[in-house]
Amino acid sequence: MAQQAVALLHNLGYSNVRDYRGGLADWVDSGGPLESATGEASASDLATPIGPALAVSQDGLAGRGPARISRGRRGNDAIPGFVERLSTFQLFVIWIGAVLLSGFGYWLGALVGEHGLVEGGVPVGASLRGLGSALYFSFVTATSVGYGDIVPVGFARVIAVVEAVAALVVFGAVVAKLISHRQDELVHEIHRVTFDERLDRVQSNLHVVITELLSLTAICEGSTMPSQRLAARLDSAVLLFQGELRTTHDLLYQPRLLVEEGALASILANLSSALEVLAELLACLPVDFSRSQPMEIALGNLIRLAGDICGNCVPHDYTPRLVFWMDRIQVTSRRIR
Amino acid sequence: MQSELDTPTIVSDVPEISREEFRRRLNDASLTILDVLPAESYAAGHIPRALSLPLHSIASNAPELLPDRSVEIIVYCGKFT
Repeated sequence: MAQQAVALLHNLGYSNVRDYRGGLADWVDSGGPLESATGEASASDLATPIGPALAVSQDGLAGRGPARISRGRRGNDAIPGFVERLSTFQLFVIWIGAVLLSGFGYWLGALVGEHGLVEGGVPVGASLRGLGSALYFSFVTATSVGYGDIVPVGFARVIAVVEAVAALVVFGAVVAKLISHRQDELVHEIHRVTFDERLDRVQSNLHVVITELLSLTAICEGSTMPSQRLAARLDSAVLLFQGELRTTHDLLYQPRLLVEEGALASILANLSSALEVLAELLACLPVDFSRSQPMEIALGNLIRLAGDICGNCVPHDYTPRLVFWMDRIQVTSRRIR
Repeated sequence: MQSELDTPTIVSDVPEISREEFRRRLNDASLTILDVLPAESYAAGHIPRALSLPLHSIASNAPELLPDRSVEIIVYCGKFT
């Protein structure tokens, strides 16, 4: 396909055209960044493999296994990048660390005199007991409880202010992280469920299309129905068919989305036989049968979409079974006139 | 896609770009990247900076999209065909 494109461009007079042979499949597999229509880059750097890591494994479970979706979902704008990379546990450790460090700060303040803590009017000494009081004060400050039984004086006040603000921010990040993790899970689950339902609908609609087209073919061969009613039924069947074909087509051309093999095979097989039945039906229709305008457009779309589906042009390597059905769809689409 | 599936035409003398060179020059503004996949595919995901020029629209849209015929162009599709 790309080679045809190169040839076409050559004929148009473009002299310096090269082909990236691996195509989108190779790009994604090797972890190349992608952009979607909204313009957002889904992977920030080349080093992060997005393809294999997120692609759904074809685990060979035929039938109705869950169709998992993979998306380059990352980045929550509320949390800056460096916090993003830390785990909740790491953040919590940082918080504890900051509290302990500040505690030592207050304790060391007592060594220099007048810059430490005061408990009930008496300065807290630089003893072991004093260390305990300093750590206690540090936690009370960090959690913004502030009992007031111990108060800082001198330079310790500066430490207390900085600690209070920093601890608040870090703790906020911990909480945000916990919540956003749960939200990510939910969003993923919603995606998965809607996706499954969508696939189910494609399958059942294709079934309806095939049944309808078959019964129309039987009617056409017996010609017992007024052609007006037949035309109306054909119209609706072709429109439904076109919609489901578009969904499947777009699904196959999602560079980062792999559908579970069993479900996809059944959809592709249904598409292929629906195309065959449609070709037969159109061949059977009388010569004077007039196609409506919407029907002409829908048929045109059908041929174009089906012609785009082939094992070699979609940006994924599928199993031979799936490639067979894709190629079959493309070949069959040429029989539709 | 007019290609006959039964008789694939292998054009061996089409110049190629390696993945490594492509990666390296991804941000090179003198390089024009063309996505010749269907528009739906382009919308779902494409190589950064790539322009959408579906195969069937090349003849009609290329002159308008790329007025300069000497510009360096990289073309890609789904995978090697």
